[in-house]
Amino acid sequence: MSVPAAELVGVSKRFGPVLANDGIDLAVARGEVHAVVGENGAGKSTLMSILYGLHRPDSGHVLRAGERIRLRSPADGIRHGLGMVHQRFRLFPGLTVAENIVIGAEPVARGRVDQETAHRAVADLSAKYGLRADPAAQVGGLPVGVRQRVEILRALYRQAEVLILDEPTAVLTPAEAGRLFEVLRTVAATGVAILLVTHKLTEVLAASDRVTVLRQGRVTGRFATADTSADELVHAMIGRSLAAPEPRRRSKPDGDPALAVRDLTVHDADGVPRLSGVSFAVRPGEIVGIAGVAGSGQRELLDTVTGLRSPGRTGQVLLDGAPVVQGRDPRVAYVPEDRHGRATAPEMSLAENLLMGEQHRLATRFGLPRKTVRARAEQLTERFAISAASVDVPITALSGGNAQKAVLARELTRQSRVIVVEEPTQGVDVGVRERVHALLVAARDQGGAILLQSSELSELRELSDRVLVLFEGRLVAEFDADATEERLGQAMTGVLP
Amino acid sequence: MTRSLNEPRVLDLARRAALSAAVPAIGGALALTTLVMLAVGVNPADAYPALIRGAVADGNLEYTIAAFVPTLGMALAFALPLRAGEFNLGGDGQMAAGGIAAAALALAVPLPPVLAVVLPLLVAALAGGLVAALAAPLSTRLRVPAIVGTLLISAPAVSLASYLVRFPLAEQGSGIAQTPVLPDAAHLPALGGSGYVTLGLPLVVALTGIWLYADGRTVLGYEMRARGHNPEFARYGGVHVDRLAGYALAGGGAFAGLVGGLIVLGPPYRFVDGALTAPGYTFTAVAAVLLAASRPLAVPVAVALLTVLQVGGQGMEREAGVPSQLTQIVQGLIIVIVAVLATVRRRAAE
Repeated sequence: MSVPAAELVGVSKRFGPVLANDGIDLAVARGEVHAVVGENGAGKSTLMSILYGLHRPDSGHVLRAGERIRLRSPADGIRHGLGMVHQRFRLFPGLTVAENIVIGAEPVARGRVDQETAHRAVADLSAKYGLRADPAAQVGGLPVGVRQRVEILRALYRQAEVLILDEPTAVLTPAEAGRLFEVLRTVAATGVAILLVTHKLTEVLAASDRVTVLRQGRVTGRFATADTSADELVHAMIGRSLAAPEPRRRSKPDGDPALAVRDLTVHDADGVPRLSGVSFAVRPGEIVGIAGVAGSGQRELLDTVTGLRSPGRTGQVLLDGAPVVQGRDPRVAYVPEDRHGRATAPEMSLAENLLMGEQHRLATRFGLPRKTVRARAEQLTERFAISAASVDVPITALSGGNAQKAVLARELTRQSRVIVVEEPTQGVDVGVRERVHALLVAARDQGGAILLQSSELSELRELSDRVLVLFEGRLVAEFDADATEERLGQAMTGVLP
Repeated sequence: MTRSLNEPRVLDLARRAALSAAVPAIGGALALTTLVMLAVGVNPADAYPALIRGAVADGNLEYTIAAFVPTLGMALAFALPLRAGEFNLGGDGQMAAGGIAAAALALAVPLPPVLAVVLPLLVAALAGGLVAALAAPLSTRLRVPAIVGTLLISAPAVSLASYLVRFPLAEQGSGIAQTPVLPDAAHLPALGGSGYVTLGLPLVVALTGIWLYADGRTVLGYEMRARGHNPEFARYGGVHVDRLAGYALAGGGAFAGLVGGLIVLGPPYRFVDGALTAPGYTFTAVAAVLLAASRPLAVPVAVALLTVLQVGGQGMEREAGVPSQLTQIVQGLIIVIVAVLATVRRRAAE
């Protein structure tokens, strides 16, 4: 085998008590798409951060085209031809595509940025790699998929020969994801080595040449994609096989709607409509999925249903026939997407995070007895199999999956009939995903009226009894659970079925 | 057997103590101060004992306690809103408002004993609370951060008190800007025959206890801490976060106002212009709270430490000829080190 484009040799990295990477070897060859998979917390991000220079390994080293290199910062990484495409784009929305691409290495003429050369360079790059993007377009107005292309072009402009993509499809529609994989093929064909970090096995199987599986900071499997299967990868990722999915039990929704939304229109602060004339109902005993490309009005819809958003709203949201209370309606259980920003206070203890919403109920005349608070937390921790050193540790010390279980434990025990769930398995591993899904189905079977928003179509199809599709703030389609991803994808992008 | 079982716990405690911000901050500050002393030719072996003697020996303990009480009160004025995520830097104005309100009431309305002390203190707390609460709508509605709002409101509040003591409430025939002496019934009873330590000590200590209890074991304390840690989390949980900001700032301001009242009702039993703000209780208290680094129980300890430094510094100046400003340097260094450590730790966590 020829010399790998980049190689990590015996890399270990410790963060406090956590051994994030434990003697990892990984080599990526020129022209290959190499997938790095693993559960959340398996060490993927740490490993990639070491490769592009953000973190320094405690031991082990990085080879670039066979030469040992020292990376002290991402700038060093760029100098050595290592390019990173982050999950959250680092672009300037007010600048043009060309300006975003050449930033940091601008062609200069007479002390000013040479726009003409920049545009030409970007156009050349676009043509070479088949990444279509108008150099003069302002980035702020571009669809997510195109912005991602701009990120990739920026790395290529800086002559990246190793391209790292961190969960690149998290923000894309299925069609956009498909296009991305075609682009990656083209780029790889020019001799660039591509590292694709992901937890979606379908993508691994569709887009990669080789796979490295991480679990608990170690490599637990190396496969040629052609010779492996999803089952084999799952086994390497979680150390066991997934239980065979139970035959889907159909729900039997009955009774009056627990949640009714009537002709809901929401304007943002600038008066731009974010939701227009949305009407639907969720009955007890059913899960209604909300599908849509990011920014189609999901945020506004869920914030209105939970009562968290008040301004600029017309139309009705009824819970058991009575209007939703502004602020936060206590009759709604709500699992938010933003785990650190909204669902938890990361530095507060697990017990105190589990307490939110119940504090008044647990209070006595003398205040909040610590014993009661801890006892309840311990009970939930056990019942929902949350693994934590104790209920007194800050919730940020828990893994993403356990923190998510804690949020679910808190919300599902509120005894609310209406349950709003947003991206319930984002950033959690397959094992937790299984468990979260079982909890949601159980809540439904006990008469919960569940509104589920997810950007993962497979999740929506697995869980929902019906799927509503939002496009530019309107409900454009409703599908039953058997709809194909293709049809959902078409509705999400405005191509009506 | 028991011993070996306990040992890891002891070690763990020691490790945590060493890692907490306070130990390296104080240690580092003392080391740097020692260097400064050596650099200017002062023998640390003379200076430090003089500092300790100046704070606790030779009858100086009384002064230290007399300074401890207002500093602790002002520490609560800063710490209480801080727990809810609001910075109250307007302690001076709230204290002056409380002091002048207490003096005005005591001078204007003849009151029976006991009430003559209790009512002015209540009015002082109310005045301080109102001044601080002005910053709440600025913060929640107009998005002027409380750290700015409280500070901006403080200066006019101090000036207003200053105006009142110079004109409407001034003592006639005195060259000093001060009110007349308050009636005897309004004098805070001294404690144990001391000239400076008054009933204010047990009062502030008791209030500190109540605050600690409320912070850790009540719904209000829980909701304030939740707001302080993550306002969006609190809002999501159904907490009225804006209202809470008002309560927190008003509560802090009430403590500052009360301190103003306690000073005015203590010796020399009058409002002397500038006497409340000159000793710099407000910012010593801010320093102490930052040093305590979000551990409420550590607040009184940090206050005691900084008070000893300040009062002792004057003793050091008398005995060892070291300018008392040196203790301000120590105080400043402590804050800088705490801030640096906090930043370093946050970087490391990322």
